[in-house]
Amino acid sequence: MLNAILQSLRARDDLKAWSVRHIQTRGAQQYDLHTSTESKRSVENERFVVNVLRETPGPDGAPTCGASTVTILPGGDIDSALDSASLMAGLVHNQPYDFPSPAPMPEVQLVDKSLDADPASSAGGTLSTLKEVASDNAQVRLTAGESFAEKETVHLVSSSGIDAVQESTKLDMEWVFIAGEGEQEVEAFAQMNRRRAEDLRLEMEAGRRVQQAADLLLAGPPPTHKGPVVFRGATLAAALNTGVLQTLSAASMKYTGETQWEIGKPIFREEVKGDPLNVWANRRLAYGVGSNRFDAEGIPAQRVELIRDNVLVAFWASQRFAEYLDIPATGRFGDIELAPGPTPAQELLSIPHVEIVEFSWFNPDTITGDFSCEIRLGYVVDGEKRTPFKGGMLVGNLLDALANVRWSSETGFFGNYLGPTTALFNELTVVGGN
Amino acid sequence: MPDQDPVLKMKKLRSTLGDAVATIEQSAPYGAVLLSYNQGLQIYVDNRQETVSEHDPTAGTVLTAFDGRTMRERALGGFDQQAILRGAKELASEGGFVKKQLVDPGPERKGDFRTPMKIDPSKMTTKEKLEKLRELNARVNKLDERIVNVRIIYREVSQNTIFGNRVADLAQDIQRVMIYVYAFTSGEKGIRFDWKSRHASAGWEALNFSDDDLQDLVEKAVGLHSAERIEPGEYNVITSPSVSGVIAHESFGHGVETDMFIKDRARAESYLNKRVGSPLVDIWDDPSLPGEFGSYFFDDEGFAAVPTQIVKAGIFQRGITDMYSATALGIPRSANGRRQDFSRKVYARMSNTFFGRGETPVDELMKQAEDGIFLAKMSSGMEDPKGWGIQVTCHYGQEIKGGKPTGRMFAPVVITGYVPDLLESVTGVGKDLELGGGFCGKGYKETALVSSGGPHMLMKARLS
Repeated sequence: MLNAILQSLRARDDLKAWSVRHIQTRGAQQYDLHTSTESKRSVENERFVVNVLRETPGPDGAPTCGASTVTILPGGDIDSALDSASLMAGLVHNQPYDFPSPAPMPEVQLVDKSLDADPASSAGGTLSTLKEVASDNAQVRLTAGESFAEKETVHLVSSSGIDAVQESTKLDMEWVFIAGEGEQEVEAFAQMNRRRAEDLRLEMEAGRRVQQAADLLLAGPPPTHKGPVVFRGATLAAALNTGVLQTLSAASMKYTGETQWEIGKPIFREEVKGDPLNVWANRRLAYGVGSNRFDAEGIPAQRVELIRDNVLVAFWASQRFAEYLDIPATGRFGDIELAPGPTPAQELLSIPHVEIVEFSWFNPDTITGDFSCEIRLGYVVDGEKRTPFKGGMLVGNLLDALANVRWSSETGFFGNYLGPTTALFNELTVVGGN
Repeated sequence: MPDQDPVLKMKKLRSTLGDAVATIEQSAPYGAVLLSYNQGLQIYVDNRQETVSEHDPTAGTVLTAFDGRTMRERALGGFDQQAILRGAKELASEGGFVKKQLVDPGPERKGDFRTPMKIDPSKMTTKEKLEKLRELNARVNKLDERIVNVRIIYREVSQNTIFGNRVADLAQDIQRVMIYVYAFTSGEKGIRFDWKSRHASAGWEALNFSDDDLQDLVEKAVGLHSAERIEPGEYNVITSPSVSGVIAHESFGHGVETDMFIKDRARAESYLNKRVGSPLVDIWDDPSLPGEFGSYFFDDEGFAAVPTQIVKAGIFQRGITDMYSATALGIPRSANGRRQDFSRKVYARMSNTFFGRGETPVDELMKQAEDGIFLAKMSSGMEDPKGWGIQVTCHYGQEIKGGKPTGRMFAPVVITGYVPDLLESVTGVGKDLELGGGFCGKGYKETALVSSGGPHMLMKARLS
């Protein structure tokens, strides 16, 4: 069917440019409840996503462009879909731009070979590992586990001459450990996604959640605290993937005036009191969940330096906004990478601090960076003593927090983040229960 | 070409679904087939760009075999009779079904249902829609020179479903429309924004904004430049219908999805017929409400849409169910078995979830609050069914002094607390009622279109 779509597109003279992505997915899903299986599913899907670009003279006669996207399902009416795409593209009047030209596509590691060979075994295998961890830890019981294993193949062909294929796999998991009894029951809920099963580091991660569940049973009321606050590992990775840096460094937002960041200028509104911030948007990260060989437009994977020593050095940009702002096209953001700091984590953690390991939802405003988020599990840490607490709020502004942070020298990979394993924010506020 | 139209393909297959069900039931106690096709249009207009695209469609068939313990499914892309029959045979040949268990297929039912509309989006041209959105963009832009961008996002989604089991033969065509209007303004502190939205199971008749609506939008987007962070503490709070709705959704919506009961994840399970809030508190889930964004005629397991009262006068009555959890728990079904699309399984999911209306005029609630905070605009919420915590993030709050808003704004403002404490603190319920639509996830995935709402309510809440 791809050939038929290409033939139809090549026969048209109303399009300035086009691209087609033939996307095929196959996978397995397993849902476990306690020690039994609630549901097993096999899933297959296939679709053709067509992007078209038309030159559309504007109301004043000036040259403008219009783009549109349609999806054709197997057996669908190709000509009707392409007519619809052309019609929709012809209605809009944007500043002219073009689709990307061919460029060498890098090889990026994206496939878990075992998952590719047998998605159902991969899905089932991860849940078996969880059951083993639970059976080894009498203080918790595994009450639910879900595992999705999927292989995706994308073949992109464009009018400009791009013809490239990428294959990738992914594993999405979530599970629940319950500890305690009756009114005292608590849960540790985990959600993870990775391209490879081994990157889940499931035994270690599950062990961490067992500990959290046990600590929740002992957790006291939240402290009121203004001072050092630590995020580590997956908590830190999640905080840096909430969209603030991604939104404010987007060329599309610059074009519409929704970010005031400027290349060559510091991103912080206040004096930087901590370690310098160095950030890359990285689609080349091996097995990164945001990595790919090429993005939906066909722009090759890149590792783009965005922020160097607190100064914006580039916006990440699609082809369109790159042309509008006369900057290089980088493609989609991908995964976030931060440079390590100068201090060993052990040294950072030796300072009395509060560590937050679980939020209800850490969701700062993506324009202002302001946040106020409920804490599900934290610790007051003083030397070797770790006193768990639950409840209370962490209040602040993510940009201000990043201007006053110390990064560990050790780095780690957490699916969508590569960077310091530990961040010590020098001055954040925990609002206690009273 | 007619034979390539997914809706026509579905209709053609409808009469053959019984064969697939019968094949599955040669081995399994229960078989069902769902044909699902979702498609639509999205238009995006802002000050410097426009796009018009199809809403990414999904089309597929779900074959279900259930023995009361394990739900086995084949999810097949598209609508192919041979593939369906092959899939049914494969499911039946898997073996290992527990045949002693009876699975209730529900009452005999047949019907074809369609969303009533005055201005059917399919009868309007894309150009007409685009022109209306451009006009809306222009109306907002002229209201204040501090506006740097006005973004309009329009989406229409058509959901076609055919469901069959041994006693059911059902079809529905649901049309949903939504529109968001964002105003971004510039000031000394940077960029601030606000938005207004409309969501409905309806046509374009539901998408109107008055001049006052748009003026209020811009005033708030400008006013947010002088907003302060609120001093954390407990306040008298008036919640708008949108904020009331998120509280209902996160507390006794997610918290009573009965798949969470069998996972031991819901504290509500042990509070059946017990007090969980003030006697003024009623909470409903009702997919049969005409015109609301989360409405449907039957769920993805063919169960007819009917209202479910979850909390009555502060007493927890029952949860909302899908077939699996209702069977496992031995409790009655409600019409809440929903899936994101054919590629995902069914869970117990909300539809339109809301607090019931009370008897107090909103002005009177303000007077009763005396000094406090009016939480006018929700932006997000997060559930905690096990711990019964709640986090509701409001885009902003407004100070109330002497029973009247002062114009002083705080942003963002977040409600946290223990769900029964929050609901127990309700001392006034407005006689108004309004629902607003949105997208709901189950944890971090499984998107469903829902609405939530209620009246204005007076309560005490911890804000930060």
